[in-house]
Amino acid sequence: MDEQLQEDWLEAQLRQETPYIDDDGFTARVVQSLPAPARRRSFRETILICVTLLASMVTYFVSDGGRFLITAVYRLASMPVLFVGLVAICCALVLSAVAAGAALSNVREQR
Amino acid sequence: MPLNDADLVARVLLDDDHHAFAELVRNHQSAVRGLLRQLTRSDFALADDLAQETFLRAYKNIRSFRGEAKFSTWLYRIAYNCFREEARKRKELVGIDEARLEAQQDPQTVDPALKHDLMHALQLLPLPERSAILLCCQNGLSHDEAARVLDIPLGTVKTNVLRGREKLKKTLAAWGPN
Repeated sequence: MDEQLQEDWLEAQLRQETPYIDDDGFTARVVQSLPAPARRRSFRETILICVTLLASMVTYFVSDGGRFLITAVYRLASMPVLFVGLVAICCALVLSAVAAGAALSNVREQR
Repeated sequence: MPLNDADLVARVLLDDDHHAFAELVRNHQSAVRGLLRQLTRSDFALADDLAQETFLRAYKNIRSFRGEAKFSTWLYRIAYNCFREEARKRKELVGIDEARLEAQQDPQTVDPALKHDLMHALQLLPLPERSAILLCCQNGLSHDEAARVLDIPLGTVKTNVLRGREKLKKTLAAWGPN
């Protein structure tokens, strides 16, 4: 057998594309075994809390010791019970919708 | 548009992005598992365990990937190191009954398909030659890249490829072009 021919033939056989191995859940297993992503140190929460506290303090002093709150409570007490109940239900519905939206977007992000 | 390896690696580095890393695993799992299957002489379960370990190490050490070599070359190196460590633990993998395998080097071995015979012939080669042949001839790495993966001198890689090819030619003589 011609040496060069045999050489070329072997080369071709070896270079023949090796069969693709189906993932078959391999990637999922690897990803599952990865350590949880390192939680990056974020100052967002701290900043938000500080800004809220600062805003509350400013409002307290500007509104003369929170007098507007007492006025609002008096006004609410003088309103019909049915109206107050309806407002409370509406607030609860709006809050639930916002919470559901946030939960759904979180689930989508995780996928 | 699918992202290339460099973009995916950048995402993993910046955001610890598991989705990006999963994409890298999907892109390279077949090649890495294929290489390890060959190195472990078709022990599929062991090869998959080693492949999983390879990707886990790649994730943990991704900061050490500087992009000088291809990502696949870097992965092959980790895979080969995983294999070597496992082989040291299970000595039988490296010194696997060489006498029995030598005895099987009969080209007349009855195998129905050439592919099967080629795989078999590859498995008969000693580890250094098998690794060099697999990386250079099957996975298309240059001799230089293979030397980096195997952590041996370039000249040794060339010698191992040559020796391995000679042995393969002898073993597969019956199949050659007519």
